[in-house]
Amino acid sequence: MTGSLGAFGRHVGRAVIQVVPVLFGISLLVFLIVHVIPGDPAVIAAGLESSPEVIERIRSELGLDLPLPQQFWRFLSHALQGDLGDSIRTGRPVAQEIAERFPYTLRIALGGIVLATLLGLVVGVTAAVYHNRIWDNLIMVLTLVAVSTPSYWLALMLMLVFSLGLGLVPSIGVGTPLHYVLPIVTLGTQSAGLIARMTRSTMLEVLRQDYVRTARAKGLVERSVIYKHALRNTLIPIVSLIGLRFGGLLAGTVLVESVFAVPGMGRMIVEAVLNRDFPMIQGAVLVVATVFVLTNLMVDLVYGIIDPRLRAT
Amino acid sequence: MHGRGDLVGRSGRWCWLGLACAALGAAVGCGVAEPPEARDTLVFAPPADATVLDPHNTTDSQSDQVILMLFDTLITFDVEMHITGSLAETWEVAEDRVTWTFYLRRGVTFHDGSAFDAEAVRANFERVLDPEQNHKRLPLFEMIDRVEVVDDYTVNIITAYPFGAFEPTMAHVSAAIVSPAVATAHGRTFGRSAEATSGTGPYRVVRWTKDLEIVLERFDGYWGEAPPIRRVEYRPIPEAVSRVIALEAGDVDVITHIPPTDLARLQAEPGIDIYKAVSIGAQQFRFNHAKEPFDDPRVVQAISYAIDRRAIVENLMPGLVEVSTGALTPIMRGYADLGEIEQDQAKARQLLAEAGYPDGFSTTISTTPRYLMGVELAEVLAAQLGQVGIRAEIDVLDWGSMVAFWEGLLPENNPQEIFIMGAGASTADADWGLRPIFMTHPTNENNYGYYSNAEFDRVIQEAMRETDAEARQALYRRAQEIVYLEDPGAIWLYDNYFIIGARADVTNITQSPLGVATFERAAFRE
Repeated sequence: MTGSLGAFGRHVGRAVIQVVPVLFGISLLVFLIVHVIPGDPAVIAAGLESSPEVIERIRSELGLDLPLPQQFWRFLSHALQGDLGDSIRTGRPVAQEIAERFPYTLRIALGGIVLATLLGLVVGVTAAVYHNRIWDNLIMVLTLVAVSTPSYWLALMLMLVFSLGLGLVPSIGVGTPLHYVLPIVTLGTQSAGLIARMTRSTMLEVLRQDYVRTARAKGLVERSVIYKHALRNTLIPIVSLIGLRFGGLLAGTVLVESVFAVPGMGRMIVEAVLNRDFPMIQGAVLVVATVFVLTNLMVDLVYGIIDPRLRAT
Repeated sequence: MHGRGDLVGRSGRWCWLGLACAALGAAVGCGVAEPPEARDTLVFAPPADATVLDPHNTTDSQSDQVILMLFDTLITFDVEMHITGSLAETWEVAEDRVTWTFYLRRGVTFHDGSAFDAEAVRANFERVLDPEQNHKRLPLFEMIDRVEVVDDYTVNIITAYPFGAFEPTMAHVSAAIVSPAVATAHGRTFGRSAEATSGTGPYRVVRWTKDLEIVLERFDGYWGEAPPIRRVEYRPIPEAVSRVIALEAGDVDVITHIPPTDLARLQAEPGIDIYKAVSIGAQQFRFNHAKEPFDDPRVVQAISYAIDRRAIVENLMPGLVEVSTGALTPIMRGYADLGEIEQDQAKARQLLAEAGYPDGFSTTISTTPRYLMGVELAEVLAAQLGQVGIRAEIDVLDWGSMVAFWEGLLPENNPQEIFIMGAGASTADADWGLRPIFMTHPTNENNYGYYSNAEFDRVIQEAMRETDAEARQALYRRAQEIVYLEDPGAIWLYDNYFIIGARADVTNITQSPLGVATFERAAFRE
């Protein structure tokens, strides 16, 4: 047992060590992109009506007159100490801005992925169990619709029906838990469809396996066969999908945030890009990327829990 | 063995739902629903949050319209753009035409409790004029030479030369007086949080969560009439359609920036009022005059005559704008009505032939979706130019890339040829509306098109120092004839209306031609 735990420990250690070069690569990439796109941050920071002397002074204040490697080193060494610099646009520390905005995005992304997972698993298993019958066909059509509905359109439709039409939930804002219902449903729908389809196809494969037949032959109730024996073995691809979708939801909430006026990271990043607020772009992308990488690290670790065989390898 | 149909039995289903609800509840955090709002809070949804609540350091109208609720200027515009007293009860200019004396209101306090006096006025103008602090509005006040405190409630502002637009400049929101105590305490972060903002206005900031809400409350120590509504909340909604739905659903009380496609429908809705006001805003396309063939006024004139402005207004922006009739909008001081420029394709072709382009030429129109209908406008323009033989490609850029072309580029490095541009001089005066944009300038600071016309320069400089209203008007008329008709500095398209949508129970919204809405007199109908 200790041997297996030690192997699991090494598995964790390896996964963690792999994260470091990935994050370094991301930092470098973000830094380079910000410095390659047209648009002079110093000019935007100074304002269109500023004189050239003022612009030059701001450029040196921002450290933009230093050679690129030196700028990157500054960014990296400060970032390691948790200092992501000050936003050009608001003048406040980037880390503080992110700390204020990230919880909103995290809430709708987390809500979206929880909704998508629960809905996706239930619907997917149901479809697999009723394979080729009316429920299965209906579910396949509905999930196809869910996957292909643009979130912008879905958001507005939900708003029209549930806020304006029925008056059940508020249209915009984040004041109460009710405010989060529409953003979460909007964000979760597409992932729910994907997870459902993935669950169904994996489940169908598993249900054909010998051990499922054995379980049934032992006289286990069907529910136990499905949820204890079959579902567990379908989870590996589904968990990877959930991990990837969660990362996608974190980074891809900007439309939902704009439509529902949620003050999250997506809007902050878009605004930062449009204003060439480069400390903000760098900081925010780095944070989102880190969360993405950590999510996938967790997925790796969850594999080990679901499938004990992976701990040893 | 159970049949498969039993799989998701009743208990199973409810168990899943229960789990889902619990998980969702946990995900969004626990909270108690707010009690139903008593009608003492007005919710306003602008398209974007304010950037900074420091009048000396902002140039965007979303910040300005909050600043106007929090701060006062010495003198101010009323809704007809006449100038009246505010923190100064009276004011006068001396014989020398450079010494302006302001007699200040007594008993005025800032939100932080400190007193307003002549010393505060001096500290404010020193603040905005200090090159070290680099406030964005410094260029607006460059004509001020010095500020002298005469006594506690009298202050002299002395300009370096007689300046014709001095009063509109002092009535500009950037001339608002901030609390010197709070400004000194917070330095560069003044106006960036609720604690670091203090003025003398009817409302004070109690909370500001970026991109979520700015909450203002009535300032009990206000010197003027107390505002009827206790609390005003700014909740930015970036998405235009959501803004409209939120208004219709009653989640917000007032919105601006209504999309053209929704305007007629909202107007027809009984629970919603639409207010329309003339504004200082106008839409143009400008030229890179340093580049061939736009260095030839005949080519630029030809383009101007090739455009059917009526068709653009009626099809793209029905009810939202009026065809331009001059280089300024009618509400601005110094405006001259030079009439609409009507489409005349024969004249356009003739001018092109005279300029040596009988078969037209190829060009690029640069635009950005940041402007309402920015891309559509460029498309229509390209089609209309095509009818007189000018082949135009469209280059759609994001705002940051667009700005990069407008600033810091020497003419020879700027590849843009025809580019979109919004205009709106926030002093509502001809000086700021023409001088920075079209006067020859060694570094082309705001003259993004490198426009240069010797006669125009001479007239503008003369007008700037002219303080006699009639002579000033005549000079600005001449300047506009040059830049609008004879040697066009832009394709003048249309003047914007400033449009507000409000729930029908809200009255007395103050709608400024500067494109800002304020609520110091607003009230709820019984």
